[in-house]
Amino acid sequence: MLKVESLAFGFPGRTVGRDVSFELAAGEVMCVLGPNGGGKTTLFRTVLGLLEKHSGSITLDGRPIESLSRAGIARLIGYVPQGHSGYFAYTVLDFVLMGRTAHLGIFSAPSAKDHGVALRALESLGMAHLAERPVTEISGGERQLALVARALAQEPRLLVLDEPTASLDFGNQVRVLERMAALGRTGISILFSSHDPDHAFLCAERALLLAEGRALEIGAPREVIRADTMQRLYGVSVQVVALAAGGHTCLPSLNGR
Amino acid sequence: MSGRALSYLLAAGALLALTALAFAVGRYPVSLGEIAALLFSKVTGSPHSLPANVETVVLQVRGPRVLAALVVGAALAAAGTAYQGMFRNPLVSPDILGVSTGAALGAVLGIFFSQGVFVIQMLAFAGGLAAVGLVYWIGSRLRGHDPLLALVLTGVVIGTLLGSAIALLKYLADPYNQLPAITYWLLGSLASISPRDLSVAAPLALLGLAPMLMLRWRMNLLALPDDEARALGVDTRKLRTVVVAAATLMTAAAVAVSGIIGWVGLLIPHAARLLVGPDFGRLLPLAMLLGAAFLLAVDTLCRTIAPIEVPPGVLTALIGTPFFLWLFALARRSW
Amino acid sequence: MKYGFVLFFFSSVCFSQAPVVDATGREIRPPAKVERVYAAGPPAGLLVFAIAPDKLTGWTREMRPNEAQFFDDKYARLPELGRLTGRGNTANVEVILRARTDLIVDVGSTGATLASLAAQVQEQTKIPYALFDGRMEATPAALRSIGKLMGDEPTAQNLAAWYEGQLKDVKQRVARASYHPLVYYGRGSAGLQTGGRGSINVEILDFLGARNAAAEARAGLVTVSFEQVILWDPEVIITTDPNYWASVWTDPRWRAVKAVAAKRVYLSPHLPFGWFDFPPGANRLLGLWWAGKLLYPREFGVDLRAKVSEFHRLFYHREPTGAQLDALLDEPGVLPK
Repeated sequence: MLKVESLAFGFPGRTVGRDVSFELAAGEVMCVLGPNGGGKTTLFRTVLGLLEKHSGSITLDGRPIESLSRAGIARLIGYVPQGHSGYFAYTVLDFVLMGRTAHLGIFSAPSAKDHGVALRALESLGMAHLAERPVTEISGGERQLALVARALAQEPRLLVLDEPTASLDFGNQVRVLERMAALGRTGISILFSSHDPDHAFLCAERALLLAEGRALEIGAPREVIRADTMQRLYGVSVQVVALAAGGHTCLPSLNGR
Repeated sequence: MSGRALSYLLAAGALLALTALAFAVGRYPVSLGEIAALLFSKVTGSPHSLPANVETVVLQVRGPRVLAALVVGAALAAAGTAYQGMFRNPLVSPDILGVSTGAALGAVLGIFFSQGVFVIQMLAFAGGLAAVGLVYWIGSRLRGHDPLLALVLTGVVIGTLLGSAIALLKYLADPYNQLPAITYWLLGSLASISPRDLSVAAPLALLGLAPMLMLRWRMNLLALPDDEARALGVDTRKLRTVVVAAATLMTAAAVAVSGIIGWVGLLIPHAARLLVGPDFGRLLPLAMLLGAAFLLAVDTLCRTIAPIEVPPGVLTALIGTPFFLWLFALARRSW
Repeated sequence: MKYGFVLFFFSSVCFSQAPVVDATGREIRPPAKVERVYAAGPPAGLLVFAIAPDKLTGWTREMRPNEAQFFDDKYARLPELGRLTGRGNTANVEVILRARTDLIVDVGSTGATLASLAAQVQEQTKIPYALFDGRMEATPAALRSIGKLMGDEPTAQNLAAWYEGQLKDVKQRVARASYHPLVYYGRGSAGLQTGGRGSINVEILDFLGARNAAAEARAGLVTVSFEQVILWDPEVIITTDPNYWASVWTDPRWRAVKAVAAKRVYLSPHLPFGWFDFPPGANRLLGLWWAGKLLYPREFGVDLRAKVSEFHRLFYHREPTGAQLDALLDEPGVLPK
């Protein structure tokens, strides 16, 4: 679905990262780990075509990103940014309907079919009861899920989520992670970033460690998330512990204990 | 009937009632019966027995003025609505990119060089378009900044520059003759509206309205941060260009014939949003209805409460502010 | 006794010019010899120039060629010094000081603001600043006072007496008129600005006993609507705007007004100084005769050309040529055709 080769990315006049290469197949879930300022968001924005790449190639569904229009990209990739509260008071349904834009003509308004797609996206996230509420009057977690619903309304093949659990409480974090895993099982590729290695263990099939704009390692989480890689990435010492029920978890060692 | 549909119906009804009232009142006494007889004769082509003055007042003076108030009010409200959505800021007025200041400079130049009414209006229209063109051109060249912030800052800067040019012209103008004329133009007025003014301004305003109506659903996406809108498939730069061009065309056409009338473009979109929410497709028609009704009410007062004309900008602020505060206190929704 | 003589001698030297009291109630004490006079606005400039043209240090605004043609070259090319009070201050006080001004004269409105401004400038520059009432009735008195201040009493006295005679003549003719028409003064390119009751803009109309159509409006410059003008239905319209005058014949909205139907819409001449409304100075005497002829043709059977020539000779120190008179009076709208 997504193929990135020797990508150099950054802002006009300033390269933030280089030599990043990875592939994402349909239904695969990949987590990008890295410290703040390491280039995660910039990488995502480049993959979405919001920033121009400096060199290398990005291929979406076999087509180079340069050959796609904005709407073309939007029909393939759904973007879930970090939510904020400065929106106008659109209803949740209207908000999610905005996701249908890429499928509409320039002068068209959403039809009954589009309403159906939006409602189903809300239902799949358990949010249908909030459809008529203003988006400014729901909780932070619900707003994050509304953003996911909006991205789903695009009927994309790839979902890109930028730190989807930041500023969410524990319960909402878990719910979002569950949804992501479930979506992956429906055949949508998922690319998300996180600051918590445990999220990679919980729902990612592969992890990409991004430090200073360079891909440190790419591979299965239990292979790439180790004490030494975490030390290199975050400058802290951790223990990676295997759990009795299967899976792993990453525990920081405070003050060397 | 839903709350929204009710709002529409009430607004449309209020507008019709106001229009009929506006036709019926004025310094020159004309009865409703006379108006009816006149309109009937014009429609059927049969002659009427009314004095020539009555026909002149109703068809040449009052009629165009009432219609112009509707057109200008609707145009300013529409432009304000578009800009408040585009700049994601409920405190934005149609003049944020300098169209009124540019039009004022054009008109002041016309007065300074002792031109006739038509030339002054053309200069005002051209000045408004040129000012925004300049702001937009400079603003879009400023790379590396949030595009909206670049536009707003450029608008403020250029607006100030044009404002100082106007101040200079006021200073150099002949204080007995030109300066009062300049002052009156800047205060705004619909007193000198002619049928020709209407026949030029209305089509231009419609020309600006057309793209806004056609793109009304897509314009909702401008309320999102730029990255999000683009990720959803919208070419935000192109859409903004169209919105700015359309809003500028409407505002420049309005200001060219009416001078500067403030508050309509700022307050009315607010009021409409409090009633029906931010969805542009529902917001735009209501804002235009309310804007037309508001300016018509204000202008009718301006021309009837005294033998002399009261500047409409004064009344829009005096009436609009308490009305808006009342609406704000009543409303149960946020922006 | 001796001391009395000494005292008298000294006082007559020090106060060789008897003090004049100006319109603000201040005693103005100019120097012994007044050679250079700055006029703070066009009405003052006119009077100073009329009395002693060589003493005027400059005009408030540079003369345009079509204005300069009515003056001798050396006067037309006097420097531009800007205006000091009234609407729009453009003079640099230092420039006035540098021009070695002996006396500042201002003629116009005498309200409290301008009075205090006059006192302030005098305080600041130490140059005597005299402010006089600019109304037409008060012009002869202003002429006399200014003449006294400048030391040109005989000339000023002659001018004042002549002006008084003219005003009296006009008044007598008006008194003989049996019908006083309803007149609307339309300003601005749309003709919708006018002067309300008692406003200085329509002083000529009030002097001529004409009925101001806008009398129900408050004093000062006001905007009115078409409906209002049609309701008033004036018999005569006077304007100072050529654009408006040209448009009035083709605009269907003005056709409803009696004055337009009767073709009694007149455009005031404006060279070198306007005749009707602005600048609000002695130049308006010509407007009196002109408007008088238009409103009361029977009582005002005067030769306007002769009047214009005489005024120019006395006040502008140059008689206009026949061609110049033609140009003034033959401009469309000035006289009934």
